[in-house]
Amino acid sequence: MEAPPSVPLRSLDELTLRDGYSLEDLVDRTVLGEMIRSFYDLFRLPLRIYSASGQLLADATEQHPFYAYLNEFKATREAVQGTVDGIKQINPAETGELTFPCVSGAVYRIVSITYDTRAMGRMVIGPFVPAGVLEVSPELRERAAGLDPVKLQALFSQMPRVREETVSQIARHLCKSLDLILFSGHRALLSSNMHLASVRESYKELESKNAKLQEAYDRLKELDRLKSNFLATVSHELRTPLTSIIGYSEMLSEGIAGDLTEEQREFVRTIYEKGEQLLQLIKGLLDLSKLESGTMSLKKAYSPVGPLVRDIAQTVAPTARKKNVGIHVHVEAGIPEMWADTARLRQVFLNVVDNAIKFTPEGGTVTLSARITTLDASPEDVGGLVLMARRQAIEFRIADSGIGIPDPEKGRVFDAFYQVDSSSTREQGGTGLGLSIVRRLVESHNGRVSIEDNQPNGAVFVVVIPCRRATMA
Amino acid sequence: MQLDFVTREVTIKLVYYGPALSGKTTNLQMLHKAAAADSAGRLMTLETRDDRTLFFDLLPLTFRQDKGLAVRLKIFTVPGQVIHASTRRLVVQGADGVAFIADSQLAETEHNAESFLDLKQNLKDSGIALKNLPIIIQFNKRDLLDIRSDAEIAELAAQGQEPVYLATATRLDGVVESFIGLLHLVLKSLDNEHKLEEKFNFNRSAFLLQVAHKLGKNVPLAELLKARVGSNSGKVGA
Repeated sequence: MEAPPSVPLRSLDELTLRDGYSLEDLVDRTVLGEMIRSFYDLFRLPLRIYSASGQLLADATEQHPFYAYLNEFKATREAVQGTVDGIKQINPAETGELTFPCVSGAVYRIVSITYDTRAMGRMVIGPFVPAGVLEVSPELRERAAGLDPVKLQALFSQMPRVREETVSQIARHLCKSLDLILFSGHRALLSSNMHLASVRESYKELESKNAKLQEAYDRLKELDRLKSNFLATVSHELRTPLTSIIGYSEMLSEGIAGDLTEEQREFVRTIYEKGEQLLQLIKGLLDLSKLESGTMSLKKAYSPVGPLVRDIAQTVAPTARKKNVGIHVHVEAGIPEMWADTARLRQVFLNVVDNAIKFTPEGGTVTLSARITTLDASPEDVGGLVLMARRQAIEFRIADSGIGIPDPEKGRVFDAFYQVDSSSTREQGGTGLGLSIVRRLVESHNGRVSIEDNQPNGAVFVVVIPCRRATMA
Repeated sequence: MQLDFVTREVTIKLVYYGPALSGKTTNLQMLHKAAAADSAGRLMTLETRDDRTLFFDLLPLTFRQDKGLAVRLKIFTVPGQVIHASTRRLVVQGADGVAFIADSQLAETEHNAESFLDLKQNLKDSGIALKNLPIIIQFNKRDLLDIRSDAEIAELAAQGQEPVYLATATRLDGVVESFIGLLHLVLKSLDNEHKLEEKFNFNRSAFLLQVAHKLGKNVPLAELLKARVGSNSGKVGA
């Protein structure tokens, strides 16, 4: 997240307490110009608006032929210029408004523009001739020696004539209108500044929250790493004495240390079996923690499918025979190799097949089959769905004729320590770790594992492993 | 506060704080209505939706003593709704005094408390110590049913530090009294800090009386200040 671009932001104090704004800030020059122009069209009175700093913001003036004539001659031009300069100097802030005479006998009305008790600028109305003044001033006539007095007087008569009270009224009206514009402008200025300021405040808040989240995330990650380390260490430390327990109890049961009574042998056998069980649990925990922390290294290679399946069948055959469960194997002809760590996949299938036998009643069957299929990206995968689709894969199906798995449980059996029916643990044994390891191992092969119903009863574990490596890694 | 020695002007910022819908804007509207035309500027309302304030309201009032100090008051409200936290923080910055407008309804007790804690936090974030800031508390909406009783408020007010006022802002009851009460505290605090009386020959009592007068209250100042809950102890303005 990048910081918002730096925009000149004026503080609320500046815009409300310190009058940190000018006429130009509050009013749009074009709008002001249009307003002045419409005023001129209505009253035919020239009008200029100056900011407090003396800058001309808007004007609506046309040079009257009278002044054009005066400007033709140096002496009168200079006199008129003197008036204009005088107007620029004068500031009616104290009194609010004043009348400024021009050398010609015409006058200017200068009115202070105030907003919230502050002088914001001036408006200059004129030149106009006050009603009742009929002739050019003697002073001008004196200076205008080179001018035609008849023409001068004729042009002077054409100048706009207004009563001064009327001009005052007009000016007041104009000030009121302007005040409304300034008020709206001030409000808009405050609004936009508040918007900006609020956004900045929110941004600052979000930033600090983000920092806190990042901190918490880093801490959790570190904790997770420590947990995995701890698990690995503990597992290792537990295994060492356990190896002795298993080894010595095995030796005892074999009579190496002398003959045992039947009862003693049974006790020692129990110690040995429970020790083995504990060892499997520890191994499972260790695998799970390795898989979770991503530290399990897989030795993948292109491996043939047939030998793996047959090896599994042979390994579980004694258990199956003991329970009178039939094992059937079917491997599709011409099946290609797959990209896998055979030792880990062996662990996967042993787990699943072991489970299948465990939950199949006497006289039932467990079928192992392998065939070619295609693997599509699952909709949950982000991106590249088109590219990840239709990849060649091997589908392994491990079907049993056992009690089956109800639909709602099908996803959950892969969670660590989850058992469909906890009473079955006592009956069937098992730690609840096996299937969670299965799923993680399959996923680390970029494969997928799911459960389907077998007909007429039982469950089918479907494991799909891609044939080709998915990445260059 | 802004003090201009050249123009002999002091600009003071007052903030009306409180939970949503407690009547902050109504207080300002009524003050605006009560104020004489030569004192009150336009009441500016920034960004409202459904009659709820989004940013703030701003009422400028200006009072000028003959040949003395001109006092320009800028009175703000904050948006009460919880979501406008950042705006409240911006508005409260640089406040010279706060009128906390509480809703008298019993059901609003929690909201009042939450809003006050919010004020405390925002003042702290703005570097203003609560104990140094002039604050008055107004219990508004006295005309409603199921409100905290006068007796209970008086009892609580006696234990608290801030002057407490009762008001029904929609009827102007207590609005000017609360305002004068706040202004009284603020001017006292500013006077202590900036020696307005010494430097500008500023007469606080006369000024307050003038303000009250401009707001349509033609009663002695002592009487106005007595409007404060539990003021019978004679500790007016203490």
